[in-house]
Amino acid sequence: MPEAARDPLIGLSDALVERTKRAQASVARIEVEGRPICSGTLWRKDVVVAAEQGFAHVETAKVVLGDGSRLAAQIVGRDPGTNVLALKLDGAEEATPLATAEPRLGALVLGFGADGDGGISVRLGVIHSVGPAWYSRAGGRIDRRIVVHMRMSGREAGGPVHDAGGGLLGMSTLGPRRRVLVIPASTVESVLEPLLSKGRVERGWLGLALQPVLLPEAMQSDAGQSRGLMIMGVAKDGPAVKAGVLTGDILVAIAGEGVGRPALVAQQLGPESIGQPVDLRLLRGGKVLSLPAIVAGRPSG
Amino acid sequence: MSDVPSRLRVAVAASDATVRSRLAALVARSGHEVVELTAAPEAILTDDTTDEMASAPVVAVGPGDGNPAGRLPADATLQQIDAAMRAVAAGLTVRGPSPQDGNFGPMVEEAWPVLTPREIEVLEALRDGLSNKAAARRLGISPHTVKFHVEALFKKLGATSRTEAVAKGLKRQIVEI
Repeated sequence: MPEAARDPLIGLSDALVERTKRAQASVARIEVEGRPICSGTLWRKDVVVAAEQGFAHVETAKVVLGDGSRLAAQIVGRDPGTNVLALKLDGAEEATPLATAEPRLGALVLGFGADGDGGISVRLGVIHSVGPAWYSRAGGRIDRRIVVHMRMSGREAGGPVHDAGGGLLGMSTLGPRRRVLVIPASTVESVLEPLLSKGRVERGWLGLALQPVLLPEAMQSDAGQSRGLMIMGVAKDGPAVKAGVLTGDILVAIAGEGVGRPALVAQQLGPESIGQPVDLRLLRGGKVLSLPAIVAGRPSG
Repeated sequence: MSDVPSRLRVAVAASDATVRSRLAALVARSGHEVVELTAAPEAILTDDTTDEMASAPVVAVGPGDGNPAGRLPADATLQQIDAAMRAVAAGLTVRGPSPQDGNFGPMVEEAWPVLTPREIEVLEALRDGLSNKAAARRLGISPHTVKFHVEALFKKLGATSRTEAVAKGLKRQIVEI
């Protein structure tokens, strides 16, 4: 139909249909006894990733792949830091590896999820904003801040998000106020190795509950900065307690680096920091003091 | 608002007899009257595994594929079930939170106003319901200074009441690391 082929709207629609057909093979439906179904992304031949926040206290699941095959799956690893859950499939067929893509501001994207009837559901949106790396509340580093303008149900979160060329941008996740975030493919890749081998992603831990504070003016010159992190609580037997940190102290620097924002602390506590000595610079009763601490591994759970 | 019935006529629907009697017990414990499906109920409570034609708005407890007026998680409390039955009977739609609902997010909202340590202490006193005078006693400062901090907090947080200041100021700012 040459007439139709020249019509841009029909052309766009046909392309979306075509992309959806191609994506179908990588969309997984995850069923857990007694819970609403969830979506996942077939990441490798026998590995499905999903959004971790929907799977508290779950160990096994059934996975239905795009070709209709129904497989038992074990949850082999979870990382609340990046919201990635890894499921290992029993007896999966070969899967085509997904070509990844970089997010471009304003680009059209397709979000896929499992629907209630064994098929897939599709959402069309645009990349609303792209930002630098960010740190989640659970301390995970996410390579890019990708916000997609589309509606999404909880059931669809965890499915793949593709760009117009069919390249995989990452896994969809519902953030605050149900905003759709994309966990970039590179972030999923980087946590997948430790998740498959150890079941978790190790991160440094000090055992501190911190709140950003504006330093009183008198302290700003002593600290050399206007903000600090007030210690609202310390974990029993954590590295900070052992170092002598008290509730009410204000943390201003770790290992010589000023920390006015929690993300700057998280940056210092990557997997390589575990076991390393660090100097904690604190304000206590208007005075500056330094306490040496040894970074521990973040306890699970 | 005087003619809102305190007691609803609720029917229960489930294919399994044990489930049916459990649901009926929940209806009774919420103080409502259990009636037959054919007896013009004002709401229907179900586990969503039956496909009877609904003659009244349905509250489904547990996961399912349908789109009832009310859907609650399987572990919903009695209070939630009671509230959902009243809401659907009044023509509203009720949804429990999805496990995927947004507790995954950035450490601290970037635009969040940053408070001083003293302002945080004052805010904690407000949270505990203290008057300016009692807060002053707790913190060892004058009531006048407390008033000054409270006004600063209202301005920073864009709050018009003490409750609003507490809700905005003490929310989600603590990061465990």
